Amino acid sequence: MSDIKSVLLIGGAGFLGLHLIEQFNAISPQPQIHVFDVRPLPEKLSKQFTFNPSDIVSHQGDLTSSDDVEKAIKESGADVVVHSASPMHGNTQKVYEMVNVKGTRNVIDVCKKCKVKSLVYTSSAGVIFNGQDLHNADETWPIPKVPMDGYNETKAIAEDMVLKANDPKNGFLTIALRPAGIFGPGDRQLVPGLRAVAKLGQSKFQLGDNNNLFDWTYAGNVADAHVLAAKKLLDPSTSSKVSGETFFITNDTPAYFWALARTVWKADGHIDDKVIVLKRPVAILAGYLSEFFSKLTGKEPGLTPFRVKIVCATRYHNVSKAKELLDYKPKVSIEDGIAKTLAWMDEGL
Amino acid sequence: MSKVLELLAHPDELKAALILKYIRKPLNSATDTTKTPELRRCYELLTLTSRSFAAVIMELHPELRNVVMLFYLVLRALDTVEDDMTLDPKLKVKLLREFDSKLDTLDWSFDGNGPNEKDRAVLVEFPCILKEYHALKPAYQNIIKEITHKMGNGMADYILDDNFNLNGVQTVKDYDLYCHYVAGLVGDGLTQMIVHAQFGTKDLYQGNEQLYESMGLFLQKTNIIRDYAEDLEDKRSFWPREIWSQYAKSLPDLAKPDQTVKGLQCINALVLNALSHVTDVLTYLSSVHEQSSFQFCAIPQVMAIATLDLVCNNPEVLHRNVKIRKGSTCRLILESRTLRGCVAIFQRHLRAIKRQIPVQDPNYLKINIQVAKIEQFIEEMYQEQLPQNVLPQETAVYRRTQERTRCDDLVAAKIQEEQTTFMLTCTALCALAAALIVYNKY
Repeated sequence: MSDIKSVLLIGGAGFLGLHLIEQFNAISPQPQIHVFDVRPLPEKLSKQFTFNPSDIVSHQGDLTSSDDVEKAIKESGADVVVHSASPMHGNTQKVYEMVNVKGTRNVIDVCKKCKVKSLVYTSSAGVIFNGQDLHNADETWPIPKVPMDGYNETKAIAEDMVLKANDPKNGFLTIALRPAGIFGPGDRQLVPGLRAVAKLGQSKFQLGDNNNLFDWTYAGNVADAHVLAAKKLLDPSTSSKVSGETFFITNDTPAYFWALARTVWKADGHIDDKVIVLKRPVAILAGYLSEFFSKLTGKEPGLTPFRVKIVCATRYHNVSKAKELLDYKPKVSIEDGIAKTLAWMDEGL
Repeated sequence: MSKVLELLAHPDELKAALILKYIRKPLNSATDTTKTPELRRCYELLTLTSRSFAAVIMELHPELRNVVMLFYLVLRALDTVEDDMTLDPKLKVKLLREFDSKLDTLDWSFDGNGPNEKDRAVLVEFPCILKEYHALKPAYQNIIKEITHKMGNGMADYILDDNFNLNGVQTVKDYDLYCHYVAGLVGDGLTQMIVHAQFGTKDLYQGNEQLYESMGLFLQKTNIIRDYAEDLEDKRSFWPREIWSQYAKSLPDLAKPDQTVKGLQCINALVLNALSHVTDVLTYLSSVHEQSSFQFCAIPQVMAIATLDLVCNNPEVLHRNVKIRKGSTCRLILESRTLRGCVAIFQRHLRAIKRQIPVQDPNYLKINIQVAKIEQFIEEMYQEQLPQNVLPQETAVYRRTQERTRCDDLVAAKIQEEQTTFMLTCTALCALAAALIVYNKY
């Protein structure tokens, strides 16, 4: 078993990045933690993070600049690089290409040049999703030929590059983790989005029959999976089994979409007595109408056919491979994760 | 008359009742149940003590029919001793502890039950049972004796347990242990019989205790939840304090009008606990390949999940025993003849259960997640929603399910034949009715 002496967290100042700092900081013996991002660590951190910011060395730079990345890697002396930098959904194709493809290519090239031992890449469960239902999908499911959107397409390309870069003979090991539905303190999309829905009074609507299963994953568990992956890559007795592989990471507790949403709303003190159920076809029609009228008024539509399909789709995963090969066990439950997230939101950072 | 109206209000159930009564053919003929006067009398005793159970046992394969009948009667005899409140506890304990040794005798009987003890005939005529017990293959005799020994001692221990008798079941662990003695051991014995007869996979018994244990516990817990009002009336307490104390200061408080919300939350917490056995139940059923044994195991389990659906978030549970409709029973019996049918029944009721849980319930998400876990398990059993070119994962439960599916295909053909007969009969009756109407017009 080889210890992690130093780790470079690319994207470490972001949502998942802060959780990565927290989890790597908890390792014993404690590795040196370096962060590379376009911005510094947030000045104010949530009370839920226990690491000392002054223990973290921060490097700012451009992910696509080989000089910037090389400088950070050399200064950190990292034996593990974790690449979790990723643009949020809703960006342009150009941004996706720049960060996910060009940026990742750059990271791989510089890691090899600097003789880094291992690279852990944060991919996405979305790489295998293009709108069709996923029933207990595992790592044998193929990446669709026609991607659903630019984000998933570029994540899939990046993942493929990372796995192909796996080169045990030359001492460079890679791994890709595919988390699904990440939420937690620092999350700007999932839980805050649901909270906003309730405030708009839209939580009384249910789209679909609520028999579709969804996977959410608490960010701390995702970060923990990265630590496990890094350890397995550095351990000669386990590295051959996990290197060059991809792993789905979830809370291993799929749940019905609206049960998850209502649990967030309940924790926020919001419970609807009456729920109006719209069947999937009706909801899609409503989405088209909403889109149509939004174009007339120039406003952003809240309901679109795309969103209806997403909300009504079954998307859950089989994480047996991660449990078996990475010894992965989700430590924070969905319910506790929601409570932590709402507590963070109330901190108003 | 109200039963007829009830059936008419549920056409699916009416159809099931008609098929069950007039069209379905028994799996195995029961002609050999009258070979000897003692055997005939044993089956009469069986019918006296449980008409519904007798009907199910009659359908069993000849290899196991007499075995299970005698197992049932011996355990009923044990129960009759345990249940009789007119017996001196010391005598009762002694009798329970040595009951298995009575199986070695040829003519032991017991005439000490109170005159009103319902099944006392089983003990008075025990020599009749002994005669047929000794006619069984030695392996089956040993199984019955072993379970009788364990259950008799378990019952005796509970009689001597003052804390249990005064305060009822305390922890969830105690709850599981109690259900083990009352029902888990029955599953143990039946499983040994099925495996010995080679009617199930070899690993169904050895090293897989939690499977047959769950079969028993799922049934027993469902009954305990349902029987709240009745048990309270009898001054008995089987809901574990560890659970109900989160909702009320005393068990009877849950039934007070102003405590209905707490009462329902407690019921739902117990339902959640019971649901933890479902994946084991489905695994067990996927491991039984002989058809009559499969149906024998499946029928009580699908009744139990239907009952859990009925009791879930149901305020009536707090005041009286609730039961599934007779028509529903008929439908469940017909639909549960294949593993796929059982899975469909479980899935239907599981989804109904999670739909009934109010968001306010403290276990709202936990129950949803438990139901989802079971759905995920079902997906692993069948793996039929894979994209092109993706092969199923050859997990243990997948392989069992595949083997059981081959048995299902044979049964499915018979089921289809029944449906056809039903449709043809209906068509013929309609044509006849139409002809009569036309005839009368002229």
